Amino acid sequence: MRYLISSFCLLFIACGPYPKKHNFQLRTTSNKTIHNPYFSDEKKDYVYKANIAVYDKLFSGIFIVKKLGEANHRIVFTTEMGNKIFDFSFLNDTFKVNFIIEAIDKAILINILKKDFKALIQEKIPVIKSYSLQDTLIYETALSNKKHFYFKTQQLNKIIRVKNAKEKVTFLFLEINNIIANQIKILHSNIKLKINLKSIN
Amino acid sequence: MRNIIYILFFMGTLLHAQTKMSTAESATLKAKVKTQAATIKTLLSDFTQYKHLDFLSNDITSSGKLSFKSPNMVKWEYLTPFKYAVLFKNETLFINDEGKKSNIDIGSSKMFKQLNTLIINSVKGDLFDENEFDITYFKDGVNSKVYFNPKDKKFSKYIKAFQILFNEEGDVVELKMIEPSEDYTKIVFSNRIVNTNLSDAIFNQ
Repeated sequence: MRYLISSFCLLFIACGPYPKKHNFQLRTTSNKTIHNPYFSDEKKDYVYKANIAVYDKLFSGIFIVKKLGEANHRIVFTTEMGNKIFDFSFLNDTFKVNFIIEAIDKAILINILKKDFKALIQEKIPVIKSYSLQDTLIYETALSNKKHFYFKTQQLNKIIRVKNAKEKVTFLFLEINNIIANQIKILHSNIKLKINLKSIN
Repeated sequence: MRNIIYILFFMGTLLHAQTKMSTAESATLKAKVKTQAATIKTLLSDFTQYKHLDFLSNDITSSGKLSFKSPNMVKWEYLTPFKYAVLFKNETLFINDEGKKSNIDIGSSKMFKQLNTLIINSVKGDLFDENEFDITYFKDGVNSKVYFNPKDKKFSKYIKAFQILFNEEGDVVELKMIEPSEDYTKIVFSNRIVNTNLSDAIFNQ
């Protein structure tokens, strides 16, 4: 009986909200929006060497992001030899596939990439709640109607997309220099997909 | 008025910088390139690649070395700003991505086989296959510029035209792959050495 109660307790904790599960302390929200600066400079061409691991397959290429205006980004992925793999446009809440090679022209995949890249480029996101954990400030948002937590220790260094109190996708911004993240990792927990980006310009 | 005449005259000369070749001239060029290509047993060259995307402020530049050994071993090795090598050998595509090695068997893939042939032929300059391409010839100063437009509909979705710039001797100095969107990849060759002794070790991955 005692075990049963303990199990229930454990189950309850495990199923609790994500912030509670990770001991985040609720704070009064001072920031109304959180700012992601990593693709916010219109003058810069953002060029990364990309390595993508999907299940057991490895792909590599060049990942290019350009901010063309307010809430307007173009994202292109090419092989090292320059052949385009895909070319997407994000303008406000609209998304357009300008080009994609036949082999990967699958709605499920495009949708995953669209959601991931939206999190990379969305600059201002309204904050729903704020938390803290040691020296990290955590902001809860509803980017694309999905729960995203933004982690800021001096700079924004992590975004986590959460569903049912479980981490679905983790975005890590590493080797940050001013407002450039020289390394970015996108790690999926429920599917075997990892994207690693290293700045080359 | 005189200024306008000067401007018009100047524009005229600019437009004439690239003129269409006569049938005789194109036949001479084709023969020259084909003869040259047939003598190439090995080729070593530096290259600089410019990826042009219309929306970017600057082209993305990378550079490296190209090695070719007849009949069908080609290695493209990027040295800056990243280390990446792709080797076509024995119907296999070997990739070395900053030390991480992988390979793809292209024996079964018609597209990769075509790609391999295409790469070898474009390095040599010999893409003169009228079944595969619509070919147009231009004079560009002392150089010759040839457009090869793929006839295959599936292929032309990816590459609208290959443009090869040949020098007076009929060597490939520049290769440009133009996409339907007009974005392109331009590869400029330099320090080209033909028929030097190339060890097979270069083609080990």
